[in-house]
Amino acid sequence: MPDRPSGHDRATRRLWPTLALPGTLWLIALFVVPTYAVMAVAFSGQINIFNEPIPAWNPLDWEFSTFTTVVTDSFTPSGVYHEVWVRTAIYSFWALVICVSIGYPVAYYTARLAGRRRGLILALILAPWWINYITRMLAWINLLQDDGYVNKALGWFGIPPHAWLSGSSFTVVWALAYGYLPYFIIPLFASLDRIDERLLEASRDLGVGTVRTFLHVTLPLSRMGLITALVITALPMAGDYYTNTIVSGSPNTNMVGNQIELFLLEGPQKNIGAGLVLLLSLVLMFFMFYYLILTQRASREATR
Amino acid sequence: MSFDPNDPALRRRRPRPQLARRDVLRGGLWVTVGLGAAPLLSACGDSGSSGQAANGGAPYPLARPDQPVTLAIKDSNAPIGDGLEPEEGGTFNILNYAQYMAPAVMKNFGKEHNVSVEVTPYNNYDEMLAKIRQPGESFDLVFPGPSVLSKMVFTDLVQPLNHSYLPHLKNLWPEYQDPWYDRGARYTVPYTIYGTGVMYRADRVKSVPEVGYDLLWDKAYAGKVYLLDDRQEAIGMSLLRNDITGDVNTADAADIQKATDSLIELIDLVNVKTDVNAYSEVPEGTATVHQCWSGDPIAGQYYLPKGETPEVLGYWRPESPADYVIGSDNIAIPKSAAKPVLAHMLINDLLDNKIGLDNFGWNGYQPPLTKLSAKYLTDNGYIPENLSNSVVVRGDFEQGHTFYEVSPSTEALWQTDWARFKAGA
Amino acid sequence: MTVTERPAVSEVSAPTRTRVPPWRNPWRRPYVLAAITWAYILWSLVPVLIAIQFSFNDGRSRSTWQGFSLQWYCCNEGSVFEDPSMLHSLRNSLILGIATVLVATPLGVALAMGLTRWRSRASGVANGIALIPLVTPEIVVGSALYLVFVNLYQFVPLGRPAMLLGHVTFSVSYVLVIVRSRLLSIGGEYEEAARDLGANSLQGIRTILLPLLMPAVFASAMIVFAASLDDFVVSQFLFGSAENETVPILLYNSVRASPTPALNALATILLVGTFLALILTVLVLKARRRGSDESALETLADWG
Repeated sequence: MPDRPSGHDRATRRLWPTLALPGTLWLIALFVVPTYAVMAVAFSGQINIFNEPIPAWNPLDWEFSTFTTVVTDSFTPSGVYHEVWVRTAIYSFWALVICVSIGYPVAYYTARLAGRRRGLILALILAPWWINYITRMLAWINLLQDDGYVNKALGWFGIPPHAWLSGSSFTVVWALAYGYLPYFIIPLFASLDRIDERLLEASRDLGVGTVRTFLHVTLPLSRMGLITALVITALPMAGDYYTNTIVSGSPNTNMVGNQIELFLLEGPQKNIGAGLVLLLSLVLMFFMFYYLILTQRASREATR
Repeated sequence: MSFDPNDPALRRRRPRPQLARRDVLRGGLWVTVGLGAAPLLSACGDSGSSGQAANGGAPYPLARPDQPVTLAIKDSNAPIGDGLEPEEGGTFNILNYAQYMAPAVMKNFGKEHNVSVEVTPYNNYDEMLAKIRQPGESFDLVFPGPSVLSKMVFTDLVQPLNHSYLPHLKNLWPEYQDPWYDRGARYTVPYTIYGTGVMYRADRVKSVPEVGYDLLWDKAYAGKVYLLDDRQEAIGMSLLRNDITGDVNTADAADIQKATDSLIELIDLVNVKTDVNAYSEVPEGTATVHQCWSGDPIAGQYYLPKGETPEVLGYWRPESPADYVIGSDNIAIPKSAAKPVLAHMLINDLLDNKIGLDNFGWNGYQPPLTKLSAKYLTDNGYIPENLSNSVVVRGDFEQGHTFYEVSPSTEALWQTDWARFKAGA
Repeated sequence: MTVTERPAVSEVSAPTRTRVPPWRNPWRRPYVLAAITWAYILWSLVPVLIAIQFSFNDGRSRSTWQGFSLQWYCCNEGSVFEDPSMLHSLRNSLILGIATVLVATPLGVALAMGLTRWRSRASGVANGIALIPLVTPEIVVGSALYLVFVNLYQFVPLGRPAMLLGHVTFSVSYVLVIVRSRLLSIGGEYEEAARDLGANSLQGIRTILLPLLMPAVFASAMIVFAASLDDFVVSQFLFGSAENETVPILLYNSVRASPTPALNALATILLVGTFLALILTVLVLKARRRGSDESALETLADWG
């Protein structure tokens, strides 16, 4: 696109930032500032008479002892929160494994092989987006109760009923996977959809077998979509607390989110809650930044 | 009057869904490790109370059963005058736990005085204080407990009562007309009293040990054992059961830790869960043994599936009143009330024996009215014979353990250990 | 033997199609993938269908079918229509959803246009900020907003105002991503042509760009609506008191406390409402893009 310096162009150049301004201001006021508020509370050293932490807005007033305790308690094996962090990581990991194992084939089939039924299948896969997350978990509570359909079905095979809702990690991991799979599949679908069929045909014309075509052509081309899907699923999953509360009431399946809830919503140690939030953000920030860099690179390539 | 548990007018309800998170707010600002003195408490007003010595520097009186407190009435916060006309029209706002007052009681009151009664619920005192302090909000009734009352009086959140509007005060137990946390009932009247015990399925529990808390540690009921989702109740119970200390408000870190360790055992031993829904889970069979409040078995009658009778429910509490953990919720009038005269009238209504009985019939938590003794309630069918020990009696109040206001650092100790329990084995 | 001799017809075998075993045939029907996809769809949707089924249960159980009845919808005591808190929550959810769409969509579209066309380092930063809400765990967003409303923006009371602000904050990112990908695929030729014909930038946007973006705008409006209706964590932190409860909060609070099929009925009502809104949007999309070769669903799905 040849550059045309002119008065007209200057107006154009001012237009775009003006359009972007309201949204940017909004996000600064309601996203960046709240993040700072979390730090101000996490590093505050005082509470008022009502047990509310007095946020330390001035960085010079920041007091790091509580946060340091939170960090050490999280990373030393004997710390209070260590077990919870490890458990959260393990649950997220296994839930993601399930997501990839089920989600990739489904996305691939829908994107490339569904043929005439593609619209229908796509609609059915998108349907959970419009169904409330809590409703979907509610549905599983119905099924997993001691006298629910799942145990009844097991009974047909002579398997004794199992207490699914009673502090079972298996239930929590599968509930997480169930809950987040729809969000996982869509970005993957979009990226698989964009792969040009001719590339695959070319690969086969060259004599490469199905599996190797997949490994050497499809997979790399869908890499961006897969990473997007993983990031979009893993990061929210790490902060999830309500899934665990709904399908299991036991301390044995507590995730980091539950600890945050415990400290943040009542009691005199809300700065610990804020500290845990901060720590969670820092831990996930690495992945967030990696994702952002990739998207920037991809969008820059797309707009060249 | 015979009481029909199947009466559709007495609908099934959810008493105090998240009561567990209540308590707390034992804060005050006194100088402790790492916490600086807050400029908010510069006005050390007169507190006119005994018990300053044990205050630990708190700017307002910390009430204890053996150090009762008379809350001051300040000039800036005087009670309303006598003989005023009740306000009419508009909305009457109640700030209370969810589903804690019978809808029929509220509706009748509303009809009688031509107001619409609305309830704003909270789950714990932190929420309650946040709501009542929100500028622009005005509530006509609030339900604080002893652990938060002094603080609210000190910060002018509640107004003193004018007893000329409360002729039914005499219906209360004498102890509650002059309780240790509010001598002379200057700011509050009690709403409900309750104790903490263990509810169980009598048809599944073969024998109840002498210390009923041991039921929770019994492997035979693994998978169906529940603790109250309340750090004070759970850790307090462990302190008593394991004979660690008789002080359920202890600030001794080692004791608290030992008690929590005992609770942590339960995770692997019986796959324990925490909840506040004993009233529905035990009758429905999801729980076989559930630490609970004494109102739960009474409410639990409504949640029995078709064909089951209250005989399948059982409630255990310590024999001796001195071992029983009791508590109470009270009614107070916020300073910001728009309809204080009506508020007094509703309080008076709730102290009336009949209305109090109706309210109890709905929420299952008994008001400390002299007429409503265990015998009266059992004879009139409100409580089946096998659950008659769920009624709190006067001796319990005098001698039982109670959770009172403690310093933030003590609270922090309890909370951290509770977080340790909640983090899993 | 002479070269001209041809073998007898019977000695020449007809050209046979070489039988390739199924696993070597790249053009076979993808049975396994299809099976996985359909199994996933069933696993994903059947529990919800069963939950809907139990909302019509004649009896209190949510796991044992006791006959058909509308008692949980109307007009018994205990049904959705007789329960003011349930009706309130439905109303709150819908009002909040619509308000969020009305605020977030223009904000996000303007942001998308501004950021895509604006080339400078500041735009890169704004871009990054705008994408972070998508990957931040909701508990971080929710707790940060809660802390900031309680400690800094105290002029905004908790409840509807705070919830609206919170919902719009994470919704803007959805709009941004969807509209941006559409903008990138449109390219700048149309606007250049408009400029060559004498239109200034504003006219270009109004007459050329916006109409081209309409499918994406509608798709993002739908997604924002669904996300707002579905939102649980941000709402839970910001709702303040029970009169501002939305449906997910009510369901969550009730799920472990003696739930009746009325909960299923409430969830069903919300679900049906959302789907009706979705169908409406798809119809509008269809009407608008007659002639384009992308199906409406694909527009919705193709944002990754």
